[in-house]
Amino acid sequence: MVSNQNINVALIGNPNVGKTSVFNQLTGLNQQVGNYPGITVEKKIGFCKLPNNVKANILDLPGTYSLNASSIDENVVIELLLNKNDKLYPDVALVVTDVENLKRNLLLFTQIKDLEIPTILIINMADRMAYKGITLDIPYLEEHLKTKIALISSRKGFGIDALKKLIVNYKSISSEPCLNASSIDPEYFNTLRKTFPNQLLYKLWLVITQDVNFLNLDRKEIRSSFTKSHSDLKRLQQKETIKRYQFINDVLKVGLKIDETVAKDFRSKLDRVLTHKVWGYFIFFLILFVIFQSIFEWSKIPMDFIDSTFASLSSLTADNLPAGVLTNLISQGIIPGIGGILIFIPQIAFLFMFISILEESGYMSRVVFLMDKIMRKFGLSGKSVVPLISGTACAIPAIMATRNIENWKERLITILVTPFTTCSARLPVYAIIIALVIPDNRVFGFLNMQGMTLMLLYLLGFGMAIFSAYILNKILKIKGKTYFVVEMPNYKLPLFKNVGINVIEKTKAFIFGAGKIILAISIVLWFLASYGPGEKFNNAEKIVTENTKENPLSEAEFENAVASQKLENSYIGLMGKTIEPAISPLGYDWKIGIAIISSFAAREVFVGTLATIYSVGGSDNEVTIKNKMAAEINPVTGEKIFNFASGISLLLFYAFAMQCASTLAVTKKETNSWKWPAGQLIFMSGFAYVVALIAYQILK
Amino acid sequence: MDIQEILAFVALAIALAFLIRKFFLKKKKSDKNCGDDDDCGCH
Repeated sequence: MVSNQNINVALIGNPNVGKTSVFNQLTGLNQQVGNYPGITVEKKIGFCKLPNNVKANILDLPGTYSLNASSIDENVVIELLLNKNDKLYPDVALVVTDVENLKRNLLLFTQIKDLEIPTILIINMADRMAYKGITLDIPYLEEHLKTKIALISSRKGFGIDALKKLIVNYKSISSEPCLNASSIDPEYFNTLRKTFPNQLLYKLWLVITQDVNFLNLDRKEIRSSFTKSHSDLKRLQQKETIKRYQFINDVLKVGLKIDETVAKDFRSKLDRVLTHKVWGYFIFFLILFVIFQSIFEWSKIPMDFIDSTFASLSSLTADNLPAGVLTNLISQGIIPGIGGILIFIPQIAFLFMFISILEESGYMSRVVFLMDKIMRKFGLSGKSVVPLISGTACAIPAIMATRNIENWKERLITILVTPFTTCSARLPVYAIIIALVIPDNRVFGFLNMQGMTLMLLYLLGFGMAIFSAYILNKILKIKGKTYFVVEMPNYKLPLFKNVGINVIEKTKAFIFGAGKIILAISIVLWFLASYGPGEKFNNAEKIVTENTKENPLSEAEFENAVASQKLENSYIGLMGKTIEPAISPLGYDWKIGIAIISSFAAREVFVGTLATIYSVGGSDNEVTIKNKMAAEINPVTGEKIFNFASGISLLLFYAFAMQCASTLAVTKKETNSWKWPAGQLIFMSGFAYVVALIAYQILK
Repeated sequence: MDIQEILAFVALAIALAFLIRKFFLKKKKSDKNCGDDDDCGCH
């Protein structure tokens, strides 16, 4: 019995066995729970209080099918398990398995067991056993697998207390291996044993066959002494896998019984429809259609409420605080800037609610399977769907999620094209411009035009990603073998708790991640818009008075004219005027130009920037951001700045342009070269400019 | 320069410092999962 102790616990398992749910149950930390493969690409650590005052650091490792690594995130698991010096090296490993896929899941278990780490076998989703006609002989399995078993349901929360007790008593678990490594190739392994008598044989075998380092041993030394050809090593690995499955089959023959007459086949029937070559796509697009219609329909009322609340707050601040520079900064810079981001909370929350429901229900994995055939034609993998769909949240984690794509060429192409997917940062830009230039009409009485436009923009981003992948596949001369393994999890009713946590986390990340940047940029922009060099700015009132001598203005008109004169000659006005010749062919004025430049930090800064600029220089008649933008008039043409032509041009520009410094940074990190992010920036932004130019010139 | 102007400029200085730190200064690596000093092979 141990007490007052800190232990390291590693949570390991195949993808989609509910590993993250077990992690949540043990640690209470809010982590995303999803069904599509590769969701866990980074190490996640949580803390758990166990009985007898034992504290555990729980490490949620990436999902892996075996210790034969074929992708970067699988390597993470092996490197940790082979490195005893790592401060997170586990005292005990928890291997999570799915009761319905026990045979396949046990392969990884036997490998980890053979590393002689105390290992507990968690058989998850036990609540489905009766439904599937499964019975387990736990004492038999414990005896023959030489371990302790926790039969749990992470979704229903049962078996967790028993698991905690097993973890505390981990020292009583046998460290006897399941497979005698020497049986793979007796002669070869005996030589190994003699040369490295103090090292565990199976560890040596993994060091030889995997791309990992090992303790203080020089792997070059091991390799040069024990050279085998690549094909020989592969053959031995296959032999090892066969031997492991023979062992697993023998154990499960007695320990696992399935009564087929009880098992219901609802899943197979549903799979046939959802992955059907016609109906599958039809249902997928129908679901997308419903999602985007709902995002616009349901968000309207809360968005209007937030917009008008911030407008009132701005007026209230200006009216009630003592007049001065700070009051102006708060009412014209900070409040409109924050309002410009908070207004989009409802749409972002609805988007993530839908995505989370699709993941939770198990449908997303069917989409991955469905899309694989199409993806292959464009040089991508079915697994590329995961980053492309995650890209609707943010390109940064999406690019990191490409780590589970084994083939480097497919991975590189996915990294390069993922930023075309419509991320949540584009949503505010789309939402405000669509609301300004697309009529809020219904076609056939139920199709909302604004929702349709939004869906088209999402499809456009996705289509462009696929098209670019096709081109890159033809251009890039990188060779590599490819294969596709996808887990089809069971269908489940989404848990309200998991969906809720996901929505709150994603919305919080959006607000606090972008919010701080937007607030800081709003303050800087306010200064640049409120101060300026030279006589034209400092003597704005005098100049306006002289210019309007013959046609005197009302007090309100005079104030607006002075504000406009000051803004045009402020620092930001002068900067904007400098770039105006380059962007006017696209239908943009200098104010939009400034918003585009500042939104290179993050796309959603676009709306906040315009809100700040219009608050400083605009009329007081229009209070909400939307109305301020709608009221902007081009002084040269006398037409509205945000008309159909300039609006479509802007939508297309943001659909294609690489307006995100952080995405470029993560591309550099993942490709280990500036060549690829530079290519992304030049191609995407150049293409966006040309498309926006053509659209405006045709539509104006 | 009145108190409002001073506070506004302080806000500007904080905002600029935040943006410079965010976009121009490199973050220190915080991931020490690979052990302390030894090369565990994490690439």
